[in-house]
Amino acid sequence: MIGYVPGASALHRAHPYTTLAAAAALLMGAFAMTGPLEVWVLVAAAAVFAAVGGVLRASARTALLLSLPVWVLLFVLHGLLGPDPRVAVGPVVLSAPGLARALVLGGRLAAIVLGFLTALAAVSPHRLVEAMTADGAPFGRAFLLASTLTVLPRMRERAARILEAQQCRGLRLRGSPLSRLKALVPLALPLVLGALAEVDEQVLALDARGAASGARRTALEPPRDSTWQRALRWTLLLFVVAAYAWKFWRLRR
Amino acid sequence: MTLRDLVLVRLGVALNLVIGQIVAALLLPVYLDSVGTILVAALVGPRAAITAGLVSQVLNAVISGNFSWLPFALVQVVIALYAAAAARLGLFRRLGTAVPAGVGMGFTAAACSAPISYFLFGGVTAGGVTAVTTVLRALGAPLGVAVAAASFSTDLLDKAIACALVCVVLRSLPRTLAARFPGLAR
Repeated sequence: MIGYVPGASALHRAHPYTTLAAAAALLMGAFAMTGPLEVWVLVAAAAVFAAVGGVLRASARTALLLSLPVWVLLFVLHGLLGPDPRVAVGPVVLSAPGLARALVLGGRLAAIVLGFLTALAAVSPHRLVEAMTADGAPFGRAFLLASTLTVLPRMRERAARILEAQQCRGLRLRGSPLSRLKALVPLALPLVLGALAEVDEQVLALDARGAASGARRTALEPPRDSTWQRALRWTLLLFVVAAYAWKFWRLRR
Repeated sequence: MTLRDLVLVRLGVALNLVIGQIVAALLLPVYLDSVGTILVAALVGPRAAITAGLVSQVLNAVISGNFSWLPFALVQVVIALYAAAAARLGLFRRLGTAVPAGVGMGFTAAACSAPISYFLFGGVTAGGVTAVTTVLRALGAPLGVAVAAASFSTDLLDKAIACALVCVVLRSLPRTLAARFPGLAR
């Protein structure tokens, strides 16, 4: 599961900025934590965050699927190939500092992925655009975030069509690396030139919708913000600042 | 940013995210996930290219679910600035100059991505790069050296091909289409 999941949880009802601020605080906090215990406390916090959003099971499953290959690589690169001293764990001899580092890095990844998957599941893109519009954000910012996601499937479909068409004309996709590299041009060129040829048409369409006007737009259904949510966002910012202050204070000690 | 710049940024972002589909079909050992950023830099300039790079990184995280790679957004900014400078110097006009410019870009990008990869992720990032790192580490190279060597070896090839592709695209633009982009007139 990657994407918005409709629901009525506290995170779904919260202002989009609050949910995104919590996910961002998890990301920033994860990079500030340097010990295995601290990082895994943050993973637990991310799990609580997902539970509040009512998406713990789905988010945790996807986070596990995304993290597992990286955990394996971390185990090999740091646990098996890490520096001395080494400890025996059952039949395997592992690097003690490498294992601690792998736990930190693996936990960091888990906290970040779980936090943002939860935010993605709980923040409706429509509500986010409405919040940005109500906040007076420039049209371009909302356009780039929301509209690029809608244009991607179209571009993917076009790339697939070009691939099929060129293969029908006899283009070989296999062979030596050099011949595959040469095949890149007849595949990529029509995709890019076709997209560039449509630019003017899209500019005209946007202009006709008043996108060039600098006037402040009115949001139809702006999400409700509240004093306590604003206070929560400031608290999250303070948490991040405190986490980095703690990190650098310990580094200097 | 003008409406035209916005539409081009969207095109660049889409290109960054979709080109992987073609690369995967050809089984090429590269990503080419900055072709859109380089193209926007050559057509419009650094500001739009930086926006394209940053939005690509965010949307890539949204689509893949892997938000831990967000710190690599800094590399996209560096690529955008380098590509804009290279375009201003006219290095994308010929393949003979575009490929060395791409090698230089790969060197610069790797010099940025290797420390991020080493300090923040312990050398474990995208599959192909980490495989090279693991092999080098198993051969006895220190972790820092293995991470740097893996980053440089993949980035040099990746960016050289990306710049060559952008050069081919720019040279293939019909004159009527090319005339619409002020960046190409320089």
